[in-house]
Amino acid sequence: MSDRVDRREFLKAAAGATAGMAWLASGRAPAFAQKRELTFLSWNHFVPASDEELRRQAEVFSKQAGVSVRVDTIAHLQLPAKFAAEAQAQSGHDMVISGFSHPFLYEHVLADVGEVVDELGRKYGGWYPFAAESAKTSSGWRAVPWFWISFPGTYNQAHFKAAGLEPPKTWADLLREGKILKKQGHPVGIAISHCNDAHSTYWSVAWSYGAKVLEADGKTPAINSDKTAEVIEWYKELYADAMEPEVLSWDDASNNRFILSGKGSWIHNPISPYNSALANRLPIAGDLNHHRSLAGPAGIHSAPPISGLGIWKFSKNIALAKDFIRFLYRKENFDAWIVASNAFNHPPLRSFADHPIWTQDPKLAMLPKEAEFAHPRGWPARPSDAVQRIDINFVMADMVAKAVGGLPTRRAMEWAQDQVAQAARGQLKAA
Amino acid sequence: MAVSPRVFEAARLPGAGRLARVHEWWEQEHVFGYGLILPALLLLTGLVAYPFLMAVYFSLSDYWVGSPGQFVGLANYRDILGNDVFRQTVRNSFVFTGIALTLKTVLGVWLALLLARNLRGKRLIRGAVLLPFVIPTALSTLGWWWMFDSLYSVVNWTGIRLGLLSPPGPNWLGVPAYAMAAVIAVNVWRGLPFFAITVLAGLVAIPREHYEAAEVDGAGAWSRFRYVTLPLLRPVLAVVILFSTIFTFSDFNIVYVLTRGGPVNTTHLFATLAYQVGLQGGNLGQGAAISLFLFPMLGVVVFLQLRYIRRE
Repeated sequence: MSDRVDRREFLKAAAGATAGMAWLASGRAPAFAQKRELTFLSWNHFVPASDEELRRQAEVFSKQAGVSVRVDTIAHLQLPAKFAAEAQAQSGHDMVISGFSHPFLYEHVLADVGEVVDELGRKYGGWYPFAAESAKTSSGWRAVPWFWISFPGTYNQAHFKAAGLEPPKTWADLLREGKILKKQGHPVGIAISHCNDAHSTYWSVAWSYGAKVLEADGKTPAINSDKTAEVIEWYKELYADAMEPEVLSWDDASNNRFILSGKGSWIHNPISPYNSALANRLPIAGDLNHHRSLAGPAGIHSAPPISGLGIWKFSKNIALAKDFIRFLYRKENFDAWIVASNAFNHPPLRSFADHPIWTQDPKLAMLPKEAEFAHPRGWPARPSDAVQRIDINFVMADMVAKAVGGLPTRRAMEWAQDQVAQAARGQLKAA
Repeated sequence: MAVSPRVFEAARLPGAGRLARVHEWWEQEHVFGYGLILPALLLLTGLVAYPFLMAVYFSLSDYWVGSPGQFVGLANYRDILGNDVFRQTVRNSFVFTGIALTLKTVLGVWLALLLARNLRGKRLIRGAVLLPFVIPTALSTLGWWWMFDSLYSVVNWTGIRLGLLSPPGPNWLGVPAYAMAAVIAVNVWRGLPFFAITVLAGLVAIPREHYEAAEVDGAGAWSRFRYVTLPLLRPVLAVVILFSTIFTFSDFNIVYVLTRGGPVNTTHLFATLAYQVGLQGGNLGQGAAISLFLFPMLGVVVFLQLRYIRRE
């Protein structure tokens, strides 16, 4: 090859580069390769192999259907803002991962997917109860429930054994045992801070004690109650005698580090620490184990993250997106995706829950059955935009933080009641 | 640059007459002048005025993400003023800006005085000082976040090893006062180079004769600083403080990465609260109202400082 680039070559290269830049700027496939494209916005999965498998399946589907499929993934904390922007601009991706209260919050901008839901339910043994609670609005299904992530107790069995303790069965057990464990230098940990895990735990504990945040109508604040007072008192004691103040500054990954460091003896979390210990061959993997969700006087309840697949109404590929969803739910595909996620993605369909991955490892065996305890946040109210605002404004975490910081329980609840009332006042109007 | 009509005449190109007329029209002072301003004007209208007016409109409506809002007057402002999280945010913003700005001014002048000395490797040092300002804030703040981590805090580890702190050390991001100290520290760390380098430029511009005259009059180091350096730096300082007030008041990255407004909303600033309420919570009307609260406050600051600068 000659060192000199002649004028023609230079022009060609420059034209190519310009076209490439224009393509980058537009975020679309270049015109010469343009065929019908389905775009899907998802999250950066905590287990990256899960996204790799998803992209592999998208590739297979794109070959079969003669279209191209683009899967974009972004950090889960950025999703709400991205959703807002796409809904506002009425343009963006065709399909989106819908978490939290999105099917309700974006009810009028998401397409009805009832036929796909019915079809899959008939084929695969029916949906767990939380599926409808989390995706069926008064105007129909606005998302196909995709996966949920169980929120069991994760504990270090070596620390429990050293203290002569069995894993807890109730929240009261946890308090009693936590006090002993902390004295031995291995406190337990529940986030009381501005992070998602703080909510997941609060909702679970509150429901187990029969406490509510909103009445079933979704409008009447119900957090100021004797039941909530019990919950707060439980938190105060746990904070003082079984945890360390660091829980006030935790983010969603702090409890993982806490138990993986060997310091913590118990956290309320999905199985991600165990998975990451296995993946990184950390010796602590042998000590980590999981137990069923804890019970309270009002039974066992859990508030795990629940995700679905939604299709924007403004999409020009609604039928194609539905076909892609059907493809992802083919047994072989869904199974492969569960395996890729190392059992992190739990199925909302009963017959998928019999996957051998859970029975192979006794530490995971009870996970899929946790589905029976699951509710979306806000329950018994629908996961409305008001519930989302209550969570996003960290009302419960702040209420508990205020109480453990010394504010009388009654006043902390009054503060929260006022915040809940404000969150519930402005309700989204359907367009 | 415009092409002279003679070129066309010489080349005998068709359409040269029309081009000449366009050229003539363009050469008129008022057309040419406005033509030069136009791109900037379009940018300002599109990227500043339009979003600003939209924000004003949003703040007066119950505008939700994806659904058209109705005019509600000042209801959003009433609601946020009635909310103690917002009132807390106003307090936080003043504490944050007040302390960070004071520290940046004092340390900035100090650093500039040091940098003005003739040291070996002067250029290298001046370049290195700029680093915190150059690294993307979100990235450097992640580094700080790790340093303040509850379990692996290198700050605490060092403090404990040096015997300055008693184990386990402060819970940096979990206690209101410490968390505020942490976000202020990072803001000062990041904003200091801007102060130092700009003040340095002001320092270098002060004529040596003033110092010589002061020395002849028997002025010591402090007197020289107090009666020569400071008065002559004042215009530069006023501009730097003006800019920094705006940047500090409207800070977002540092708080969002370090504390997300916690613990118990004691580090929320206008921008982070507006993001939480408006974009994450979908309540665009209230989010806009929160962020617009910055406007009158910064307006007053800008007005006072500009008046001061003009008087100088």
